[in-house]
Amino acid sequence: MRILLVEDEPDIARQLKAALMDAGYVVDHAPDGEEGQFLGETEPYDAVVLDLGLPKVDGVSVLERWRRAGLATPVLILTARANWSDKVTGFDAGADDYLTKPFHTEELLARLRALLRRAAGHAQPQLSCGDLRLDPRAARASVNGEPLRLTSLEYRLLHYMIMHHERVISRTELVEHLYDQDFDRDSNTIEVFIGRLRKKIGSDRIETVRGLGYRLIPVGEDR
Amino acid sequence: MNPSPPPQDQVRRASGAALAGRSLVRRLVLLAAVWCVALLAGAGVLLTANFHAAALQRFDQGLSEDADDLYAGAAVGPGGEVFAPAITDARATRVYSGKYWEIAERRADGKLHSLERSRSMWDADDLPASADVIEQLTRKPNNPVHFDGPGPHHQRLRITAMQRLLPRRATPIVFLTAEDRGPIDDDVQRFSLMTALALVVLGLGLVAAVVIQVRVGLSPLFAMRRDLAEVRKGKVEGLTGAYPTELQPLADELNALVEHNREVVERQRTHVGNLAHALKTPLSAMLMEAQAQPGPLAEVVERQADLMRNHVEHHLRRARAAARSQTLGERTPVAPAMEELTRLLEKVYRNKDLDVDPGDPSLIFAGERQDLLEIVGNVLENACKWARSEVLAHVEALDARRLRVTIEDDGPGLPADKREEVLRRGARLDESAPGTGLGLAIVDDLSRAYGGDLRLGVSERGGLKVEIDLPRADN
Repeated sequence: MRILLVEDEPDIARQLKAALMDAGYVVDHAPDGEEGQFLGETEPYDAVVLDLGLPKVDGVSVLERWRRAGLATPVLILTARANWSDKVTGFDAGADDYLTKPFHTEELLARLRALLRRAAGHAQPQLSCGDLRLDPRAARASVNGEPLRLTSLEYRLLHYMIMHHERVISRTELVEHLYDQDFDRDSNTIEVFIGRLRKKIGSDRIETVRGLGYRLIPVGEDR
Repeated sequence: MNPSPPPQDQVRRASGAALAGRSLVRRLVLLAAVWCVALLAGAGVLLTANFHAAALQRFDQGLSEDADDLYAGAAVGPGGEVFAPAITDARATRVYSGKYWEIAERRADGKLHSLERSRSMWDADDLPASADVIEQLTRKPNNPVHFDGPGPHHQRLRITAMQRLLPRRATPIVFLTAEDRGPIDDDVQRFSLMTALALVVLGLGLVAAVVIQVRVGLSPLFAMRRDLAEVRKGKVEGLTGAYPTELQPLADELNALVEHNREVVERQRTHVGNLAHALKTPLSAMLMEAQAQPGPLAEVVERQADLMRNHVEHHLRRARAAARSQTLGERTPVAPAMEELTRLLEKVYRNKDLDVDPGDPSLIFAGERQDLLEIVGNVLENACKWARSEVLAHVEALDARRLRVTIEDDGPGLPADKREEVLRRGARLDESAPGTGLGLAIVDDLSRAYGGDLRLGVSERGGLKVEIDLPRADN
């Protein structure tokens, strides 16, 4: 696993690099935004740890440029500014997780592990199945133009099903994609979520394939 | 101790209040009214006096002519006896008619001794002539002297006396004519009454005109006050109306003040942010260094660094919260902020099911976006941390002035006696829980700074239920 660390404070950078290498990652370090952006664009990384307060180019701008260029690498942002508007700005720019300084090294490693595991795609185009539409950027879904109000797990369930609507998806597969691996999961909850989703989008849209799992049925016109 | 005298400005204000109160309108109207009343009263007095003088002069002139006639018609007998003219005014023959005449001789003692009297005087006393009148007669003989005196039947008489010398008479003869002045006094009184009435009506009209003028004239000022109230309430960002040229500079200054206020708050916030950044980066370095080299020293450093982090966070946020309430005219739509926070937390807390209803898109928080994010973000993140599987949130309008954000989770919740504590000290109640535990206290400070309210309760799902009431701006 190759990690890019963009951090200007030399002590923190040295310690973080050491901790990451101890955890078995290959680490490249960039001391400023300009170099960080260049490395991120040219080298294939599995994840990026990005400080927001950087010299030359600040972290949010670096992130925005990567995302505009279509780079989907998961990014964890580090910030000394703990206020929510900074966090929101970071996430709007395309961050996947944040940590507020000062933090414990174990926490960073744990977050990074989770991030690498899910490695969800970014800048995905709009998804659709029949008149069911889903906008991953805005995290919104709609049926026949009518916006749906989904909880976060319902949304992720629908997202996964709409991405794989051409095939039957097993319950285990859904559980694995809905929850992180270290979560104490119960496959029965999937039935609950499927039930709730059916209520919101229409029960005829999710087909139960006995013994195999579920499948999303296209209904209405796909524009 | 001596009782201290009242402060100077208080005295001045009190006397000012006695004069015209503290209302500009009252002050202007009162000033105009006092001026009007003084002018009109002066005009009234002048008019009446003039009329009175003219009427009296005409009256006196008539009496003088009568006295001349009396003198011209009087005849002196061979023995020096004086005879009154045979024909006089008919009224002078009717008893107590109000028209009288008398011919009197001036004796050596200075008194008047009546020689002839009009029939109308009947048995009344002679016409009175005081020493002062006698003295005037002496000073200017042949000229009429006018004076007042009592007459029969309580008549007030206007009397004219004229001293003449007649042939064959050693002593001067005084011709007196008199007439009841009641009718002209009545005329004068009627005239004064009418004048006063007219002037009062005129005065009232003028004061009414002044009131209207002041109200209309000052209406831009009232409009400005209303506009400023709107700014304070957060409905608009500044005074943008078209004001008269005299008020425009004031509006500009006020706008500059509002803008300055905003800038100061922003600067303060930047400073605070910089300080936080400056302190936290070295803290991070210390913390990580300590963790990299386990040992008793490292443990102490780690514990103290954690403590310092909490203190820094706590006091910086509190300082920021204190700077909040002073900002003016900020508006933040609630729904987009809720959606942004939800998107963020969904990514971070992937195992928790967030059910967030961002509410009516037209709901607007009367405050800054940053603060709304801070308030809701902290509570929502807190709920995500503690929830077993579910977090519920919704926004609703309470009334025209307030909105409520409710956030619940299905976590362990807080016992009643701990709820107070968590707000008061920002204490981290359970050391095993993630996070600094400052969140709720900060939210409480912030919502209070906005005149809002934070309540902790029990959710139907078993966990903590947080209700935050916040000021709502008009659409």
